[in-house]
Amino acid sequence: MKSIEKFGRLGLTGLLVIAAMAAGASQPAAAQEELRVATAYKLMTLDPQYANLNENNSLLSQIYERLVYQDENLALTPGLAVSWKALSDTSWEFKLRADVTFHDGSPFTADDVVYSVERIRTFLQPSGGGFRSYLSAIKSVSAPDPLTIVIETDGSVPNLPLAFSSIFIMHRPAQGFQTTDELNAGTSPVGTGPYRFQSWSSGEVLKLVANRNYWGGMPSWPLVEFRVIENPAARVAALATGDVDLADAIPARDVKSLQQRGVKVESIGAARVNFLQFDVASGKAPGVTDKAGKPIGNPFRNASVRRALAMATDRGVIVDKILAGYASPASQFFPEGLPGTSNQLRAQTPDYGAAKALLAKAGYPDGFNLVLAGTAGRYPGDGESLQAIAQSWARIGVSVQPIAAPFSVFNTKRAAGEYGVWYGGCSGESVDIILDALLASPQSGRSRGALNFGHYRNETFDAMLADAESVRQGSERDQALAKATEFVMADQPVIPLYHFHHIVGFRQKVASYVMHPRGWTTAMQALPATE
Amino acid sequence: MTLLSLAMGRLAQALLLLFVMSLIGFAGVHAVGNPVYNVVNIETASAEDIRLATIALGLDQPLWRQYLLFVSNALQGNFGTSYIYHQPAFSLVMSKLPATLELACCAMLVAAPLGTMLGLLAGARPGSLLDRIVLQTAIGALSIPSFWLSMMLILVGAVATGWFPASGRAATTDLLDQQWSFATADGLRHMVLPVLALAIPNAALIARLARAGTIDVEHLEFSRFCRAKGLSARRILFRHTLPNISLPIVTIVGLQFGGMLAFAVVVESIFAWPGIGKLLIDSIQLLDRPVVMATLTFISVAFVTLNAVVDLFHALLDPRVRVGA
Repeated sequence: MKSIEKFGRLGLTGLLVIAAMAAGASQPAAAQEELRVATAYKLMTLDPQYANLNENNSLLSQIYERLVYQDENLALTPGLAVSWKALSDTSWEFKLRADVTFHDGSPFTADDVVYSVERIRTFLQPSGGGFRSYLSAIKSVSAPDPLTIVIETDGSVPNLPLAFSSIFIMHRPAQGFQTTDELNAGTSPVGTGPYRFQSWSSGEVLKLVANRNYWGGMPSWPLVEFRVIENPAARVAALATGDVDLADAIPARDVKSLQQRGVKVESIGAARVNFLQFDVASGKAPGVTDKAGKPIGNPFRNASVRRALAMATDRGVIVDKILAGYASPASQFFPEGLPGTSNQLRAQTPDYGAAKALLAKAGYPDGFNLVLAGTAGRYPGDGESLQAIAQSWARIGVSVQPIAAPFSVFNTKRAAGEYGVWYGGCSGESVDIILDALLASPQSGRSRGALNFGHYRNETFDAMLADAESVRQGSERDQALAKATEFVMADQPVIPLYHFHHIVGFRQKVASYVMHPRGWTTAMQALPATE
Repeated sequence: MTLLSLAMGRLAQALLLLFVMSLIGFAGVHAVGNPVYNVVNIETASAEDIRLATIALGLDQPLWRQYLLFVSNALQGNFGTSYIYHQPAFSLVMSKLPATLELACCAMLVAAPLGTMLGLLAGARPGSLLDRIVLQTAIGALSIPSFWLSMMLILVGAVATGWFPASGRAATTDLLDQQWSFATADGLRHMVLPVLALAIPNAALIARLARAGTIDVEHLEFSRFCRAKGLSARRILFRHTLPNISLPIVTIVGLQFGGMLAFAVVVESIFAWPGIGKLLIDSIQLLDRPVVMATLTFISVAFVTLNAVVDLFHALLDPRVRVGA
């Protein structure tokens, strides 16, 4: 697979598009009513509650809906629920939208919400049931009337409405629970969404038709076809030749040539971060040696060393050269401006002199050797970033051996503690989910610290985060999260690198495309051009 | 009697092959990494979620026990459920077979006659202009990496001229309960570029074999005798030379066909052609062991069968094989 992934980077896509421009190819006129999309998100199952993976959620969000949505600023907006409020610290009430019908014609009621929650909590067993962690704090769900849901929780869960922005609502069948196998057979994916299921082939294609009875009005496209094309070069070629009207996850380096060819491009900073993470706990960090190649004690336990390396990290090269400007330098975990971000933190420009001095003060005047691990082909710019960082750090005497591995290999080794410092990525519906996963002290049984493979523990930060999370969604919570971020970043347990941009390209048939920082690709975001 | 023992020997070989293949495949996927990280959402799952999922997938058992379980299930025709797609692994593989089969068949239908014809004509007059052109082109075509050839085909055939679609499989028609695309004009249009990408290197390989064979055979005594008898050059070439060079060609066609069934990975990926090769490479990346094992088993069986068919052809084409057996 390595070679397959690599050719995308060889710039062959660019070559394709340039030649296309020169030739000025003519397009066969395609039917106006159908939207054809090339997507990198591969649909693996039709069960919207089986696995919590963007690969599934992105496409299924057109068929199934959620009680609550997040707008482009990640603020909560009404979905199948028109309003919600906390009745007490441990109970919530959701008022549901009236006059919503499922694709099979039956009305949407509170009982369907109860069914959806029960299905996740009790019916789906591991390895399915990837959404269980969102609902783990729920004690009971009841439906006092057909348009009201009351949820009792174990303890205070101020963030419950946000959790429901991830839960797809399914229709309660005549009896029992629908199994994943039944859903995958493709006979009965019934949701309330703007598009109805027509046919699919796992990992290949999903065909949808407009739901004429959609509560939000008639959808823009009578027919939608999603083609799964994971290879970036092939996706760009499909868009360049007009095989599709829209393509997502366009490589940054292909944007210019696509634009010159008349393809419109939209982008937005992703609500995610790519970062370097340190093992700050072990006595010896794997791969770290002195200049002579002899093992030394773990230098990353010293915050000065981490800060020195952060000072010597040139984010500009990654953002401008590797990602052609389609990324923002990161100093925290969401792009600045999104809820819960700090306006105090700034991505530093490298200061090699100060960094070297700081490193010397920390006891490493000659630097040291390290192995920097990372993924290959998982995130935009991942493999190249390792090279760029190796060059930056060499300037303060730290020689880096970059190792890029396929994601599954990387994951296994990272979890096994085989890396001392590594490149990773994280996303979430809100910034506290990232803070929780990456930096909170791991606690058994809770999803806290799921990505804290560096074993960073900071009780003050844990308390600040817990305080922030005990506040309901709003500016008070956001400020507390920003403060916690500022506090923890002074300790530099990770080095945020960049927020890459989601890039979507589209042709004449599409007038505009509304970008969303979560980066899913749906037909609802594309507005048709009017003649 | 001899035929029976030959068949039994073949069967024993096939079983041994399947056994060794399954061991290597199983250990290989295990060595790459832990599939559980691809099944749960690594960014939100707690250690407890990961533990439960590991148990649910049976990955908590020692590897030898997992293997024994796999073998005993596989013997009953059950390859398990895909970790990722949550569908029965073997039927997932079978659902991708038509796409691969029609691609491989069409590519071979182009490559075999084209390669043989060019090789024969070139070998009949070694050193001539035609021979030099065929030889150089064949060497060129064989040295081109598959992904580059595919890219260039897209560049010329789709992007620059707009003659053919750049990727994907067109709307399929239902035939014998399977989805095929060769029955419609649009389906055929979608097939042209990937078929060429597969056929060109194969045609080159066959042409080189045919050329070498022809040169050898034309020097043999029976060829000279034919010429002395006054037979026309064309008759010698097609009636006497062709059958004599066909053995290695049939062998290589069989092998290459098997290869296309299984390992047209690059071409299938670039053209987003939903075939078995693409499924295999995707599954290896996602460490979806049931699908990897089901695919490898299918491929092994296909290779064994193809080899048996090739042997049959040998017997048909070469009287000596029949006598020898």
